[in-house]
Amino acid sequence: MTTARLYFGRRARASLPQLLIYLLLIVAALWAIIPVVWMILSSFKTMNTIFRVPLQWIPKPFYWKSYPEAWAQRNFAHYFLNSAIIAVTITVGNLFVCAMAGYGLAKYRFRGRNFLFLAVLSTLMLPLEVTMVPLFLVVKVLHWQNTFAGIIVPFLADPFGVFLMRQYILDLPDDLIEAARIDGMHEFGIFSKIVLPLVKPALTALAIFIFREAWNLYIWPLIIITSESLRPLTVGIALFMSNYGTDWNQLLAIATIAMLPMVVIFLMLQRYFVRGIVLSGMKG
Amino acid sequence: MEAIENTNRRKTRSGSGLTRRINRWGYFFVLPTIVILLVFRFLPMLSAAYLSITKYDLFTAPKLIGLGNYVALFQDQVFLQSVRVSAIYVVGSVVPVWIVSLLLAMLTVKAVRFGNAFRTVIFIPVVLAPVVVAVLWRFLYFEAGMVNTMLGYVGIPSVPWLTTPTTAMISIILIGIWRAAPYFMVIFTAGLQAIPIEYYEAGRIDGTNPWTEFWHITLPILKPIILLVVVISVITALKVFAVPQLMTDGGPAGATEVVPLHIYKTGFEFFKMGQASAMSILLFVVMMIFSIAQVRILSEPNR
Repeated sequence: MTTARLYFGRRARASLPQLLIYLLLIVAALWAIIPVVWMILSSFKTMNTIFRVPLQWIPKPFYWKSYPEAWAQRNFAHYFLNSAIIAVTITVGNLFVCAMAGYGLAKYRFRGRNFLFLAVLSTLMLPLEVTMVPLFLVVKVLHWQNTFAGIIVPFLADPFGVFLMRQYILDLPDDLIEAARIDGMHEFGIFSKIVLPLVKPALTALAIFIFREAWNLYIWPLIIITSESLRPLTVGIALFMSNYGTDWNQLLAIATIAMLPMVVIFLMLQRYFVRGIVLSGMKG
Repeated sequence: MEAIENTNRRKTRSGSGLTRRINRWGYFFVLPTIVILLVFRFLPMLSAAYLSITKYDLFTAPKLIGLGNYVALFQDQVFLQSVRVSAIYVVGSVVPVWIVSLLLAMLTVKAVRFGNAFRTVIFIPVVLAPVVVAVLWRFLYFEAGMVNTMLGYVGIPSVPWLTTPTTAMISIILIGIWRAAPYFMVIFTAGLQAIPIEYYEAGRIDGTNPWTEFWHITLPILKPIILLVVVISVITALKVFAVPQLMTDGGPAGATEVVPLHIYKTGFEFFKMGQASAMSILLFVVMMIFSIAQVRILSEPNR
């Protein structure tokens, strides 16, 4: 990016009355956050106080036992572990696969390169919502129903991830790669030892982007997994919710647990979170 | 970017056999992506195209029936209903999303301080899994839930949010806006923050006020980003599945059964794979129209 002087974001002068701006921002922040805060607070209420009128913000009595109670209702520890396995594998896999493709498309000239890049981009048009029925049939043919492979492998190459990595690697100077080559470095070594360390920010952004999607994955495991032992947390919660007799405070407790990893990661790494989204909308 | 491509091209043309051999490594690096996308995206789509002209119930072999599925679809009231539902959902959620997200972005960049902090808080709904969103909003929309209690404070009788067709649709749309607006706020913010100050200084000389500044300077400069947000938001809304499935399961009486949910039910509850494939193809065609626009924007060289 150039050093152009920018209008917004730098000590913006008050061109609208700042008071009005803050008033609207506070309303927006409350709109975004109150549902979440209300869920967390209510998860510490008893069933007697949870729907109390007038609204009671601070749980009294403070009842934390919904957490262990809910946790014990189903195999939630197991579902949680499954979700972690799925999300981590999909994330790590994508980092390699997308970075490789991004590097190949950015730094080698070979026949059909532009065509392949367009082909990759065109799969953005084939989201799961469109392909779920035939994808299920393909995975069924592979006998991958009720396997981790069946959940994970179809998601190992995210077209947007390839786009992001290519975009980022294009900006790396060719001389650097050329120099390593002259030093007699192997092509794969150049990729893993020179290129990968240089694109760490992009990899972090991609990791978070993919992890969020993988952790939140719902339709696909719902379709492809029938056995309880592979069930991820999202599907576990959905089934828990559809169970008629479920107590609200337990449901809220489980949802809070499911939400926590993502919210923590977001708050810690929001810079990268935002970068991934911004890159999806424009050239970096 | 073009400069890079040009130098590369020159290199290849004058390239020795060694360069060519090195460039062959490109295939190696692209291979895993191509294989995965081929098997898990293109192949399914091709088989969907085939299955859409067959009758297939998953247990007996597919039987060719020509365009029968498509003809049947356009006479199928349930399918046409789901198309209407999707259309209402897209139009009803997407327009408010544009306005709210641009407004939020403007507000956070105009705030003298704490713009980032506000963006962080406002962004939180985007991070949540659809399942968490569903639990959360079912709790809020519950007959004795917070929304109705608050309405009660101002004397409005409680609303059966998820149990009548109209209110269920409104509920789902409100959740859609809640989840999508912060996402596009971030994209708009990046766009706004990249506008050089010169444009506005030039405007000052012509005597602009904040209002004309917005309409005559900010909006025209943002045009490519607005275009992108329009396209992505429509695609996202067309794809919505998990929230309606978990909130209402498409009910009551199909009032919130969007097309992807209808495809899911046709395929996995009624095992009509041929029909479900035909619907998938139709949904694909609609999405393709918007996606082509997206790909064209993304691959525009001078952006």
